[in-house]
Order: sequence, then structure tokens, then C-alpha cells
Amino acid sequence: MSAPAAPDGTGPSASPAPGGGPSGGPGRTRRTNAGFGRFLVAVYGVFALAATARAAVQILRDWDEAPLAYALSGLAAVVYVVATVALARDGRVGRAVAWAAVGVELVGVLTVGAFSLADPEAFPRATVWSGFGQGYGYVPLMLPFVGVWWLWRTRPRPGAGTPVTTRPADAPEDAA
Amino acid sequence: MVLPLVLLVVAACAVLAGWALVFVVRDRAVILRQLWGAAVIEALVLVQAVVLGVLGATGTAPSDPVLLWGYLVTTLVILPVAALWAFAERSRWSSVVLVVAALTVAFLEVRMWQIWNA
Repeated sequence: MSAPAAPDGTGPSASPAPGGGPSGGPGRTRRTNAGFGRFLVAVYGVFALAATARAAVQILRDWDEAPLAYALSGLAAVVYVVATVALARDGRVGRAVAWAAVGVELVGVLTVGAFSLADPEAFPRATVWSGFGQGYGYVPLMLPFVGVWWLWRTRPRPGAGTPVTTRPADAPEDAA
Repeated sequence: MVLPLVLLVVAACAVLAGWALVFVVRDRAVILRQLWGAAVIEALVLVQAVVLGVLGATGTAPSDPVLLWGYLVTTLVILPVAALWAFAERSRWSSVVLVVAALTVAFLEVRMWQIWNA
């Protein structure tokens, strides 16, 4: 059973595997919402939904129990929603917003993760980012890194002769 | 909450996720049969909602009903979104999204079971 391939005749442009090397060559799409980006948008969407639902319950019902933790839950929810929409919309504005959202997310998960371990008293109730997101299989910790990587990878480059020497064809897997 | 129903949903999600994963590997988009599978899971979750409603009405309420219902509503949203995605995106990535959706529903089921027994 060799090479079942795509029945619809999408031979060479088959999208690269998520973690794999850049097999697509120079002609690859540079949009945040295409290819692997669709997967990323879906995961962000799930987290936006989950974090919003969770934060809504926490903030509306038992705000007094842990205001700091629940405020951060709300912040996380907003960040995920913004990141999802920005990644899905793409474009210059979308990209800028996505950078900001993913940046906040990265700082948030690292800070809250560290604080929740160092000073559990301050976080009597869990948030998405507590313990570096261990309640969610550490996906909240990985997500911003993947987001940064993806935004970097899909960054727009000036059409002709960019001084930035990026050679998509070679160096398959030399990221440290 | 009824354990057999939870297990059934989780198992069905695992099957659907596996099926969709095969499609990812083969670089194929979601097909209608898979969406029927998703519809069956959705129906099972709806049955769960009814069961929870009846249990709640007859006095066997969970310790944290708001949280539980929040999870239930979230669970109900996910597969329809993945289905819409499958129609909009006719590439392998719709299969990836279906894998994510099925695993998420399974995860939420487990969480609901934990909340119910909390």
C-alpha cells in the first residue's frame, strides 16, 4: 500500500505536517489562518470557549472567593478570544493584534504559573494558567509558544529581494 | 449522571477522533459519514442533558450545577462548529479540526463526570 495519495489530485501542494519540516518550498502561503493555522485557530477557539465559560461562572457566581484568580481567568478568556479572532482574520491588523495577544498570553501563563506554584495562597482557586496550565494538559503553556512560532513563520516578507536571508528550501530541522 | 452514558460518549469520541485522524494522515477532508457520527455523539450528549435535567428536577442535584451545565452547553457547541468547519474547509485541515473537536468533547465528558461526583 504505497502512497495512497489524495484522490482529489492535490499532489505537490499537499500541506506540510504540523511539526514537520518546511516541505512546501518558497511558494507556501503566508497567512495565519491557512494550513496549520487552521488547526491553531481551532485550538485557540476551544480555549476561548472553555476559558470564557469558566471565567463567566467564576466571576458571576463566586467572585468573592478569589478575586485575583478570577480576574486573571477573565483576562485569560479575553486574551484567547482576541487571539482566536486575530489569527482567523489575518491581515496586517490581525497579525499585530495576534502578536500582542499571544505575547500577553505567554507572559500571563509564565507569570501566573510561577506565582501559583510559589505562592499558592494568592491563588486559592484554579485558573486556566495555574501551575502552567497543568489542569489542561499543559496545553495553555505550549499554545503561546506555538503561536509565536506560527506568527514568525508566516510573517510577511517584502515581495522582492528581502535582505533577510530566509531560505525555506533548506535547513529542514535545525531549530535548536 | 449515568456512567454508561459517559463511557459511551467518550468511546464514540475516541472512535470518531481515530477515524478523522486516519483522514488527516491520508490528507483527506471530512466526509458526511463522519458528520453523521458526530451527530450521534451530539444526540447522546443531548440525552445526557435530559437525564441531568430529570435528575436535577427529582432532587439528585450535583454539588455545582452551574459549572456542570456550563460544561454541558460548551460540549454541545463544539461538534456543530466542527461540522460547519468541515463544510467551509474542504481540505485535510477540516479533519484535524474534527480530531480536536472529538477529543475536546471526550475531555469535557470526563470533566463533567468529575464535577458530578465532586
